[in-house]
Amino acid sequence: MHSPYLRTAAASVIALVCGAAQAAMLGGELDPLEVRPTLVQPQLSLPTKLTEVHVANPGEFFVPPNVADIPDDKYGDLVRMGRNIFVDTQNYAKRYVGNGLTCQSCHLQEGRKPYALPIWGAFGMYPMFRNKTRSVVTYEQRLQDCFRYSMNGIPPAIDAPEMQALVAYSHWLSRGAPVGVELPGRSLPGLSRSEDPSPQRGEVVYATRCAMCHGPQGLGQKVENGTRYLFPPLWGSDSFNKGAGIFRVRTAAQYIKANMPLGQGFTLSDQESLDVAAYIWIQDRPKDPRVSYILDFLLPRTGAP
Amino acid sequence: MWLRNRVGTLRSWMAIGLSLMLLGTAALVAYIYLGNALHGYAAESAILNDGARIAQSERTGIQACIACHGARGEGNRALGAPRIAGLAAGYIEKQLRDFARDPIKTGVTLDPIARDYSKTPRVQVDLTVYTPGVRRNAAMNAAAAALDNPEIHAVALYFSALPYQVEALPSDPETLERGEDLALRGKPEYGVPACTSCHGPNGRGFGDQFPPLVGQAPEYIIRQLNHWQTGARDNDTMALMRNVSDQLTDGDKINVAAYFANVAVSSQDAEK
Repeated sequence: MHSPYLRTAAASVIALVCGAAQAAMLGGELDPLEVRPTLVQPQLSLPTKLTEVHVANPGEFFVPPNVADIPDDKYGDLVRMGRNIFVDTQNYAKRYVGNGLTCQSCHLQEGRKPYALPIWGAFGMYPMFRNKTRSVVTYEQRLQDCFRYSMNGIPPAIDAPEMQALVAYSHWLSRGAPVGVELPGRSLPGLSRSEDPSPQRGEVVYATRCAMCHGPQGLGQKVENGTRYLFPPLWGSDSFNKGAGIFRVRTAAQYIKANMPLGQGFTLSDQESLDVAAYIWIQDRPKDPRVSYILDFLLPRTGAP
Repeated sequence: MWLRNRVGTLRSWMAIGLSLMLLGTAALVAYIYLGNALHGYAAESAILNDGARIAQSERTGIQACIACHGARGEGNRALGAPRIAGLAAGYIEKQLRDFARDPIKTGVTLDPIARDYSKTPRVQVDLTVYTPGVRRNAAMNAAAAALDNPEIHAVALYFSALPYQVEALPSDPETLERGEDLALRGKPEYGVPACTSCHGPNGRGFGDQFPPLVGQAPEYIIRQLNHWQTGARDNDTMALMRNVSDQLTDGDKINVAAYFANVAVSSQDAEK
């Protein structure tokens, strides 16, 4: 009955249970004076000029024409309408928009800023092959994808007046830019190799560098009695959906590195940009329109645990 | 018959009792709410009265606020005193605290023992490394240092609640056109964002962090941009304005200040 095997088995089980209990007890009680590595990188460079800032070399970028120089003819009218849509999409193209963003929420400063997906860097490159659609797409088709994914809406038809106006604005903005040439400052800058992005570290970066404008919950901040966003939402129902290009962590990190915080492009490191992009990625947002509702329901939810 | 009457009276008594109970509850709720509101109103008006008293009283060697900033906080262009009526209370409060701070004592204090961050809540708001900035101005440094924190709070609330009316300053169209270009579009190739992207769509200011640009004298705006460039003022969150000012030429400053001074504003059409 009392075989040695049974006894050793019972002893080991007891030892295991005791060990687990001890471990749980120790895990609950942390020594407050124990020195531990922290997630926070203290930034001691704010009051002095120790921050490494990307040196702007304005001569290397294409400079689009001045708004005051829009011609006073039919073409100019279409360009002005396109600019209105670009700047105030919520009013001028409301029927195509399903969230709270405008074109210049991403394409900063009316689509002029280098390394913020400038329109003058994109227009001359179309028709272009896209991995996303596995086909050569025209500029109009590309704009439709903007509305479908980044604006979470219904794309305008190729011959819709809004579409024609946006194409006219893009055409006017890239006047003088060479066609089919990858201009400096086009699209987004590259990222160097780094560690895996960590949303835990990203949360700290978010709280210290982003939350002041985009809000602690990432839902943006509204202005004019809550009619429109001054600081666009980064997640939530008023943000871009999961099919948007900037939903990719790498793309978002490239964008953040070059442009965020506003006016302080290239101050976050590659690793910080990736971390905060991962933190934004795990939040909940509208579903990818290419995914059916049933599949979207069955897929694992994103969202901070 | 007796039973029916009995039941009827019972019902009516119950109805009366119920309605009395409801009335009592409503009266209690109304009393609590009204009491709180009245108490809050009384406390607020007391603070505003305090603020008014502080703004009008002078101390040994220090002038009253209204001596330079005007009786209604409208500012004084000749003296270089900005308008402070209608600014966000949090903004005025922060500026006064930064004026009062001793520049020698600013800096980052680190704990001798690293904090155990595994115990802090998940949203680590307190992890912001707080570098209190300073703002150098001979008159204001002395004036703010003479106030304690409740006084700063009261005077900030008082001036933020004051009405204001600012006339537009005329400029030549070329300056205004260039100023508008800078205000609405910034300088994209230099990495300077548009002024209106943070200071509100019409430069009316946003929240406690972004003060209004309209309704201020152009000289004041130019002087602040110069102070950020030289470092005489470094109390901007995340050094946002310092980076912007570093990329501005003297012409840019003149143009953009003229553009924002060209707008007539009053507290009537102010919007949040």
